[in-house]
Amino acid sequence: MKLKSAKDLDALRKEASGRMSIRGDKKRMQIVVHMGTCGIASGAREILNTFAREIDTNGIDTVTLRQSGCIGLCDQEPVCTLQDGAGKEFRYGRLTAQKVGKIVREHVLKGDPVIDYIITQ
Amino acid sequence: MRELSLHILDLVENAVKAGASVVTVSVFQIRGLGLLEVAVEDNGKGLEVPQDVATDPFYTTSTLKKTGLGLSLFKGGVERSGGSMVLSTSPLGGLSVRATMPMTHVDRSPLGDLAGTLFSVVCANPELELVCRLRVDGREIEVTRSAVGKKRDMKTENGIAVAKAYYEKIREGMNTLDITQ
Repeated sequence: MKLKSAKDLDALRKEASGRMSIRGDKKRMQIVVHMGTCGIASGAREILNTFAREIDTNGIDTVTLRQSGCIGLCDQEPVCTLQDGAGKEFRYGRLTAQKVGKIVREHVLKGDPVIDYIITQ
Repeated sequence: MRELSLHILDLVENAVKAGASVVTVSVFQIRGLGLLEVAVEDNGKGLEVPQDVATDPFYTTSTLKKTGLGLSLFKGGVERSGGSMVLSTSPLGGLSVRATMPMTHVDRSPLGDLAGTLFSVVCANPELELVCRLRVDGREIEVTRSAVGKKRDMKTENGIAVAKAYYEKIREGMNTLDITQ
């Protein structure tokens, strides 16, 4: 956006301020893909990249995507932890690209957890 | 692991866990000597134990499990392909993991999807300064997250747009230098 007047600057400030509030909003959903050695060897990179693609394709701007290490559920990898706006955590395991698509469509977009894929809640 | 890029991803995850804010990934090919060098350097807290302990598959800093396979698997893979891996203090102040191996050894893992790996890192670690150095026989291309991010507009707060731009830069660099798998 090119700034040509004080009005433009004010519009930019308001827009940025809105985004800053989103960043600091505790109600924002967070998806953490666990990328310890076990997760990576089981396909966690593809899972994270599929989440990113789905988030991008669906124009979702209320989700933060993060990575973290192994959580000791190596036999269930690839695993992700989804924390919803209320702070409730859902752990999905043995993920595939197809499962990620369904989690985004059902849980992220509609707020309905995909019970079949949950390993602990 | 099937690809060297997956080991790189694992090493970057270790660096992030060690509190690094800057990570440098280097992939150098010295074709005259038939060598491939892969290095991951960070400014994290560094190595707290001797090298042989760090590469022991039954040593881990995790309290959730009793194994630490990342460095051990990487070392095993590198040595299986006739190369060697060295852990030292990085110029950035943290850990440096550097592996050198013959490019044409039959057991060497392919480089794999390096761009996809770095896409993951940029996407999920927005605070991390990721530097990737690609070098083939003296020709070098460097891609840094901050430089790529500067060229994006502010609508990239979820980091995916920056990650996509970073991915494209790496792909472009690999094509320009004709980096072989």
